[in-house]
Amino acid sequence: MLKIYPVIAIIGLVISIGSVIRKSPFFNFTGILVCIYGLLKSAEYVMPALPSQVILMYMAMSFFSFFIYFSIQEETFKAFLEPMRAVFADDNKALLRVLIVFIGLPLFAGYLTYVKVKPTYDPPVSARIVHPEPPSQMDFRGKSVNVLGLENPLRKDAANFAKYVEEGKKIYYQNCFFCHGDDLDGKGHLSQAFNPVPLPFRGTDTIAQLPESFVFWRVSKGWRGLPAGSGPWNSSMPSFEDFLTEEEVWKVIMFIYDSTGNKPRSW
Amino acid sequence: MDMFIRRFLRMRILIAVLIAMCFSVSVYSADKPADNPEGKKIYDGWCAQCHGYKGDADSFTKDVSLPKPRDFTFGSFKFRSTPSGDPPTDADITKVIRNGNPGTSMPPWSRFSDAEVKAIVGHVKSFAPDTFAMETKPINVGNPPKASKEIIEQGKELFKTAKCVECHGNAGRGNGEKGWQADFKTDWGYGIAPANYTHPWELRNGSSLEDIFRTISVGLSGTPMTSYMDSIPDDKRWALAHFIKSLQLTRKLGLALKVRKTETLPSKPNDPAWEAVDYLDLPMGGQLMFDTRNFTPVITNVRVRGLYTSKELAILLQWIDKKPNDGSDGKPSDSIRIQFPINKLEGTELPYFFMGTGKAPVNLWQWRASDKDKVSSMTAKGPDKIEPKEKPEATVMATYDDGLYSVVFKKELKPAKDDPVFEAGKFIPFAVAAYDGQNDEDGNTRGAISAWYYLMMEPPMPLRVYVFPPLVSLGVLIAGIGLRKRLRKKKV
Ligand code: HEC
Ligand code: HEC
Ligand code: HEC
Repeated sequence: MLKIYPVIAIIGLVISIGSVIRKSPFFNFTGILVCIYGLLKSAEYVMPALPSQVILMYMAMSFFSFFIYFSIQEETFKAFLEPMRAVFADDNKALLRVLIVFIGLPLFAGYLTYVKVKPTYDPPVSARIVHPEPPSQMDFRGKSVNVLGLENPLRKDAANFAKYVEEGKKIYYQNCFFCHGDDLDGKGHLSQAFNPVPLPFRGTDTIAQLPESFVFWRVSKGWRGLPAGSGPWNSSMPSFEDFLTEEEVWKVIMFIYDSTGNKPRSW
Repeated sequence: MDMFIRRFLRMRILIAVLIAMCFSVSVYSADKPADNPEGKKIYDGWCAQCHGYKGDADSFTKDVSLPKPRDFTFGSFKFRSTPSGDPPTDADITKVIRNGNPGTSMPPWSRFSDAEVKAIVGHVKSFAPDTFAMETKPINVGNPPKASKEIIEQGKELFKTAKCVECHGNAGRGNGEKGWQADFKTDWGYGIAPANYTHPWELRNGSSLEDIFRTISVGLSGTPMTSYMDSIPDDKRWALAHFIKSLQLTRKLGLALKVRKTETLPSKPNDPAWEAVDYLDLPMGGQLMFDTRNFTPVITNVRVRGLYTSKELAILLQWIDKKPNDGSDGKPSDSIRIQFPINKLEGTELPYFFMGTGKAPVNLWQWRASDKDKVSSMTAKGPDKIEPKEKPEATVMATYDDGLYSVVFKKELKPAKDDPVFEAGKFIPFAVAAYDGQNDEDGNTRGAISAWYYLMMEPPMPLRVYVFPPLVSLGVLIAGIGLRKRLRKKKV
């Protein structure tokens, strides 16, 4: 696919080089600005696109610095203004004059004003903290549990590891996969209905960053446990203390780690 | 000599049968897939939870998915490019694994390498060795004719004469009479509903013209959807495919619906005037946070439209229900609810998206098919604390046309100080819950639910938008003329 912005940058460069040869500072100035605009926009092919605010700022800076540059010497400045004067005054530029001065500019100014005064409406956006600070203490069906330093009791029974993971698998596919996905990628067949969408467990910036105690708290308390900064009112993550026992929660946690090849954070 | 040859021939068959038996026992037995350990390993890890370790679909998810995962031991495969009665090709099975089954819990698997998928396919086939003993090849799809008004018209006619309507309904929404008879079942013994074509994103076997043509041609084995390869000629099947394609809706997902102001509201929920109005599609999911959970919702999409006048706000909700229930047939009545916050909260804070909480309650407006044109207004402080209101806050009108429910809620608009939630120009949060009686959905929690969305009554364009731009244009023009005059004088 042809990339448009680099092409714009090159056209700008050609204009400005051509106008250096023909000694026309005005077109040199225009060419440089076009080239800079093309380059700034091209940035999006190699990095996240620059926000339009930033581009506007850079363009304004370039405009003024080059304008000052071209207006320092009187000779150059005269030559710089010449094309503009010609469009207004020269008799052989009548067509250009009608097109630019009497049609183009008024319409463009009108359009800019329209964009400015037209009201725009955008729905509220809410930033949410994905991994909030867990409380040091929680209750599980009325029983008090210390989250701080909490360890998975089933991990000590290494002989039965495979059995626990398999039991966790069954729990996962009867309670979680609709949302978190068959492949634990967060793309369950019902996930689209919810906002925020369910989180993936696969990959490195997921449960791999969390200690098991945190996950125990998240699974047990679900949306109800979230602090205001995490927008509990939008979260569909159920409070699994309503549906599972403590041991079942530990088993499903073992499954989501084991099946994604992730390890709980232990530091 | 002759005798000998004949005896040998007879023996040869016997030997062949014996060899074949050994072969099938040693190679195809699911318990000893010695030749394909990789396929078994991945299958046991990532398919068995649904399709069963033995391929028999006796699995973890059998009671929490609709449709149920496929039982491979049966040897019947729905999704094929091959003639009816033939097994699918390896490419067919690979396609299902790679693309998944839209509208079911069968996900697309992109994580596995081609070699791994090949091994999985081998393992899937090993559950029904007899089925795959047969040679087969895909049908010839050929080149589709171009879409035209005539061909779609022809397809529409054929849709009736070939009796597709009996199952799929006049508008292709899957609401045909036949689909709801007690014996309408798959060969696996499960109930099934005829496909709704208007949701292309849920067509199991693909939604492109070629996919539809192929489905009509070879059918879906094991289901009442039979093959039409022999009974309907190619060109007519293309016409049917074009007609079906023409029914597909374009799903429009987003966060907010802008509601335009008009002079008068359409008089009926199914008034064609609504079709010109902008819409938003809400994907629906099962309610999974509160007991009793709904793992198998069947209402998957609710389309929302809105209009307002200086006096009233009207919200149209439309969704597909293949079998309407008004409570008179032993099933619960179909119903729908729309929810709004009662109070304005701080910042972006909202009540809980399903039925609110004690601290932040919500308003509910409910329509039930059993109550015709009656609306119930309720206050919800959580799914177990729903209190009816004495005075309804809205009115309702509803229609059911060929599988499509259209329900319009209307609310009288008051000055913002009396009714801060419904202020023009503000984003008003709303959420929807829908209940399908045929699927035994009832109560508060067994339903299909949406997240929070917003609707915004777009204020009329302010006058300045029409005044300022022409003024500025005129100003620039005058300045241009002025400058021209001066520069010209100078020259002279
Ligand atoms: C109805 C959909 C739904 C179901 C069912 C569900 N979850 Fe969630 N879950 C979510 C959503 C949405 C989030 C993200 C929002 C949040 O953090 O609350 C989430 C977040 C999580 C997190 C936090 C992950 C992180 O990176 O911080 C964990 C852990 C989790 N879920 C585990 C589970 C387990 C285990 C089950 C089954 C026992 C389950 N979930 C069932 C929707 C669901
Ligand atoms: C979460 C459950 C689930 C998982 C996991 C799953 N499937 Fe499926 N699969 C289904 C369902 C449900 C269907 C049937 C849909 C229907 O009847 O239309 C299905 C259908 C299929 C079909 C189509 C059969 C036919 O009739 O043509 C194949 C092939 C298949 N699955 C293979 C696999 C393989 C291989 C895996 C593992 C990589 C897998 N599935 C994992 C749920 C699942
Ligand atoms: C006896 C009832 C019956 C008749 C008659 C019938 N169908 Fe179907 N059809 C079904 C059922 C049931 C399904 C859904 C199968 C499923 O859910 O997997 C279906 C599914 C389909 C699908 C969609 C498959 C997909 O990808 O999801 C198409 C296309 C289709 N039918 C076309 C037709 C056409 C065209 C005709 C008439 C020539 C027709 N059907 C006649 C019962 C029927």
